[in-house]
Amino acid sequence: MKIIMDGKEVAAEYGQTIIEVARKNGIYIPTLCHVPGLEPAAMCRICTVELTEHRRTRLVTSCNYPLRQDAEIQTDTPRLRGGRKLIIELLATRCPDRQVLKELGERYGADLHRFPADDKDCIMCGLCARVCERVGANVLTLSGRGVEITVSTFMGRVATHCIGCGACAIICPVNAIRIEDHDGYRSVILKGKEASRIPLRSCTSCGRPFGPVIDLAPVLERAGEPGVPAFHTSVCPSCSRRNHAKRILERHFEPYDTAIQAFVDEGRRF
Amino acid sequence: MTSISPAPDLSWTRKLSRPEDLAAYRNQLIAEQHPDATRILVCCGTGCKALGALHLLAAMKQAVADANLDVKVAPLVKRTGCHSFCSRGPMLAIQPQDIFYQKLKPSDAAEIVQETIIGGKLIPRFLYKPPGAKQPIEKRSEIPFFAAQTRVVLERVGQIDPFDIRDAIAWGAYSGLAKVLTEMQPKEVIEEMKISKLRGRGGAGFPAGLKWESCARQPGRHYVICNGDEGDPGAFMDASLMEGDPHAVLEGMAIAAYAIGSDRGFLYVRMEYPLAVQTLSNAIRQAEDLGLLGQNILGTGFNFKVSVSTGAGAFVCGESSALMSSLEGKVGRPRPKYIRSTEKGFRDSPSNLNNVETYANVPKIILNGGAWYASMGTERSSGTKVFSLTGNVNNVGLIEVPMGTSLRHIVYDIGGGIPNRKELKAVQTGGPSGGCIPIPKKFLDINVGFGKLAEIGSIMGSGGMIVMDENTCMVEVSRYFIHFLVEESCGQCTPCREGLTQMEDILTRITRGEGRDGDIELLEEIGNFTNSFSLCGLGTSAANPVLSTIRYFREEYEEHIRDRKCKAGVCKALYHLEILPDVCTGCGVCKKRCPAKAVTGEKKEPHLIHQELCIKCMECYRNCKFDAIAIR
Repeated sequence: MKIIMDGKEVAAEYGQTIIEVARKNGIYIPTLCHVPGLEPAAMCRICTVELTEHRRTRLVTSCNYPLRQDAEIQTDTPRLRGGRKLIIELLATRCPDRQVLKELGERYGADLHRFPADDKDCIMCGLCARVCERVGANVLTLSGRGVEITVSTFMGRVATHCIGCGACAIICPVNAIRIEDHDGYRSVILKGKEASRIPLRSCTSCGRPFGPVIDLAPVLERAGEPGVPAFHTSVCPSCSRRNHAKRILERHFEPYDTAIQAFVDEGRRF
Repeated sequence: MTSISPAPDLSWTRKLSRPEDLAAYRNQLIAEQHPDATRILVCCGTGCKALGALHLLAAMKQAVADANLDVKVAPLVKRTGCHSFCSRGPMLAIQPQDIFYQKLKPSDAAEIVQETIIGGKLIPRFLYKPPGAKQPIEKRSEIPFFAAQTRVVLERVGQIDPFDIRDAIAWGAYSGLAKVLTEMQPKEVIEEMKISKLRGRGGAGFPAGLKWESCARQPGRHYVICNGDEGDPGAFMDASLMEGDPHAVLEGMAIAAYAIGSDRGFLYVRMEYPLAVQTLSNAIRQAEDLGLLGQNILGTGFNFKVSVSTGAGAFVCGESSALMSSLEGKVGRPRPKYIRSTEKGFRDSPSNLNNVETYANVPKIILNGGAWYASMGTERSSGTKVFSLTGNVNNVGLIEVPMGTSLRHIVYDIGGGIPNRKELKAVQTGGPSGGCIPIPKKFLDINVGFGKLAEIGSIMGSGGMIVMDENTCMVEVSRYFIHFLVEESCGQCTPCREGLTQMEDILTRITRGEGRDGDIELLEEIGNFTNSFSLCGLGTSAANPVLSTIRYFREEYEEHIRDRKCKAGVCKALYHLEILPDVCTGCGVCKKRCPAKAVTGEKKEPHLIHQELCIKCMECYRNCKFDAIAIR
């Protein structure tokens, strides 16, 4: 399989996507809705490249196009630059003044205020929904159709089966999702509105909240592990560490009270 | 009203357990039908049904029963599928006398039985009279609308009772399947399909034989899927086929299943076609009762189970990957995959998806041979095509013509021309993915086929054909289609979702008289972009209505933007109505008709429209007999 990318021959395995090959060879292709490890959705279309197979040239998205035969790929032509510019300008109507669009806009000479803005706080990349599915919680999903498509919980209700992992907040390229802990609860704030709420468990030792109360079964199933003990404890990680240290000291260094105290203090620093 | 034409119970019938049994059963059914029997075929397609055809059917049955006819064989009143002359419904045909009665009411039934069936006389007021003609046409086969067609796929539609498989078998249904099962290897079936050069009738025109071949080559369980999610505005070809001759579709699917090695099929029909769902479900049950579908078909050991699955009303589910997602019970959104569905489709298995009309063609090809089929139509587009002819044309209805027929023949000979002395302006083909072809200029003699229409910026699509007269505003037409697609876009990908929204905004602005310089160029830029960067077939053809109207009617866009004028009189903000004083006779019709009381004037004196009161309802314009009202 002979793959030529931007005029230079590159190594590629059968079935690899264009973007994997490009990244490995240091060729830049912009993406907004692609994260390695998640199933590609090809929604933003900004990673579109020109592909020539059997002397037939067409536009394909690099995030999900599997290379299976000889191909020549152009990743940065005037036509692609024009299309990417328009994608950025169109997405800017949903989300003006976001860093990620500003940076891309500068690169492709896009006028972020070309079309009238209609701030929807979201560029509809679908990453949050896909990562939520991948984690196993299935709280966020894409609902509605056409212009009205939106990231939402089931029926727009405040979800209680969220595990509060925060993957959606971390993955969102326009920071439309926040995680907030308050009054013993953790909330996922989606576009300024509470999307899910889960109680936090308090440490039985120090009383501080240290993590959400969740049903871990789906997560553990995904992780393929029988159980992670730390999730089942009732004390927070720092108290757990301190207690552990205390037990070791009591067993091995019983006579030395002062030494115990020093170790305990040491443990508290973590 | 009593229940009309309930499906006959065939569960008592002996299963046809050998291929020869089918031929014998067919001969028996034909012998049972008396050749002299008068058959009254009442159209009960969706259109006529809406106009009360079921009441007419009941009335006809009653009238025949009441008449106590003194004849050897009683006339048979039959419920049939669409007769395809939809603008003339409710209607019926009387065979073998070759009579066609149209625009009937249930109260006319007794008269028809007395005069025509018993008396043998024609009733002139029910006969079809072409627009402008003085004399009605007496014979059904001489009516240009029927005479100018070549009915291959639609042969049985309107002739058989779609709820009775015996009728279909008498007309030859399932004999193609029997031939395939007894005489042909799967490879030979595919070979025959390739010889026929049949191209997919759903719109893309991919050669069906090649698709079957590539699907058959894949390992694993195969599926046969039929796309009956016809959603283009103004298209009803597949609906009429499924309602009028469900067995043709089922037989085509069974032959495809045999060819690619499948034992499971699905018919994806939109829920807005309740009659089609009914006829198909019933047809499947009857065919299974007779051993023509299901387990061990005709005793040959070939199994093929079909079920009907209904869509939930999304236009995008007509796209193959979205259809398969929907069939799997997932959200109906196109899949972002570059693997053909013949390789990995429904349930990630090799799936062969064709359109209703494509499958309906298959039995004919098998029975008559691929070469016979390829001899019809043109070199690159073989066979015939069903079009639904709608819009500003006299004969609205379903037509079937060989590929390569000229638009002139379709619009004028079959369609009967444009009503109300109007000028033909454009023909829109291919639904929202198609384009508008300007007619008077140069394209009236263009031959309809896959390649030719694509060359001039439209597509044949699934066969919708909307005729537009001079009172059609092309800017408004493209705004309508873009609005439709904005509503129906799945919303996954940026170009389709955001690009179309912006285009709709711009077009709405132009039709409101707020167009700006550069709008046309902007529309072209976004249109070309969505057409090349979108995810699925819906997005990559969505801008065609806009691009084709800009290509051929640019001056109309310019008039809207620069002069703030809509000459067609559609965009309300961009025209006003005036009475031409030298033409107006002062008859007072406009004054009487005007709901806003905006017209004043003395009898026999030229009238005047007061612009500040006029609501532009066009009532005066439509009703003026002297063309004295002008759009300015």
